[in-house]
Amino acid sequence: MRNLWLLLQRNAFLLTFLLLLAVSFGVLVRHDGSARSSWFRTTGGLAAGVEGQQQQWRDYLELAEKNAALAEQNAQLRSQLLSMERESGWRMDASSGWSVATGRLIKGPDGHSRSMALGIPGADAGLTMGMGVLSAGVALGTVVDVGERYTRILPLLNTAGTWSCRIGRTGNVVPLTWDGVDRDRFTLSDVPRYARAEPGDTVYTSGFDLLFPDGIPVGTVESSQLSSGANFKSVFLRPLVDMGTVRHIEYIRHAADSERTVLSQPLPSP
Amino acid sequence: MNVVRLIVMVVLQAVLLEAVSPFGEWTQPQWALWALFMLPPQSERFTKLGFGFLLGLGLDLMMGTYGHHMVAGTVLGGVLPGLHQLLSPREGYEVTQKPTLRDLGLQWVLALSFLGSLLFHLALMVVDTWHAHLMLGAVMPALTSAIWTTCCCLLLHLLVVPPGRKTKG
Repeated sequence: MRNLWLLLQRNAFLLTFLLLLAVSFGVLVRHDGSARSSWFRTTGGLAAGVEGQQQQWRDYLELAEKNAALAEQNAQLRSQLLSMERESGWRMDASSGWSVATGRLIKGPDGHSRSMALGIPGADAGLTMGMGVLSAGVALGTVVDVGERYTRILPLLNTAGTWSCRIGRTGNVVPLTWDGVDRDRFTLSDVPRYARAEPGDTVYTSGFDLLFPDGIPVGTVESSQLSSGANFKSVFLRPLVDMGTVRHIEYIRHAADSERTVLSQPLPSP
Repeated sequence: MNVVRLIVMVVLQAVLLEAVSPFGEWTQPQWALWALFMLPPQSERFTKLGFGFLLGLGLDLMMGTYGHHMVAGTVLGGVLPGLHQLLSPREGYEVTQKPTLRDLGLQWVLALSFLGSLLFHLALMVVDTWHAHLMLGAVMPALTSAIWTTCCCLLLHLLVVPPGRKTKG
């Protein structure tokens, strides 16, 4: 206490000077609008800066606690995930007649022109050949072979497949193929030269191949090419799904699949 | 005597002498500073600080510029002991010496008047403009006004306590 008193005595002039200056500034800020606004702006900015810095330090110091909380939450989620049973069974959309079952891709297309994909489950879950396969609502391929527990899938990324599509919701129905070179580019061939295909237009499945319902998105138009004098042009599109990263898939089938298949066969020759 | 001189100068400046400005904002005189400069350099530094504060308060009250002159006066009052020390002769001030032309010479009076006026005008400029982008344009008027105030103080020295006249203790 005595030292404090001595310190105050030693700096009495400076303290008096600062006190009088504070009084003067107080009077000034109280009566001068410009000074007041400038003062509040300056002190406000200063306070915001100090508070921001404090917040940064607080966040930094709390990183360890937040990290621990996140790790705990992560462990809980992993535990839940492991204890969850894989969803099985078919969910049917009564209005359209299409049923959906979830599955997982255990081997995706590797970009080679003839590569196939492998998915689970297989026949034990009721899967049959000819079913459409989607990923996040986008056409991915079709089931071409079914084992007891696995299915072989012919992906869009295979030169052996041809898929019926249309440009836009009401455009011409044209075949979609892959050239086996660029995995980010599909080709719509035999597109009539008068058909409109602008960059950015979405290409949907037509449903005519009976593999997919009508209107499943496939990709977006990037460009088109028309040879001189030709009546048809090629349209190039970018797929909406990255085939290299797909893990979760959906199998779809129609309730009257067998009936549709039989009726779609050509009539026997007389 | 010092108090009377301070009151008289504050009243004179506020009522009459403020208008002595031949070049407008470039020559804003602060006649009342002369009363502060006439404080004996040997006097207590608290006295100088108090006089500076009262000078500003008086000017603000008389001229209705609340706070502006108080800030500038307090700054000058706080720095004045330092200025006196800075300008002190090698052997220090004698007890009988007054801050006049006769006792301390023209150079001392001019230096004190100019440095003190410059400080006062700069402080006044800061509180008058407040905004950093306006201050640059106000520095030159503050400088010329400080020169003008120095001239005014010199004139008062010559009129009130000329070099040839002995000042009363």
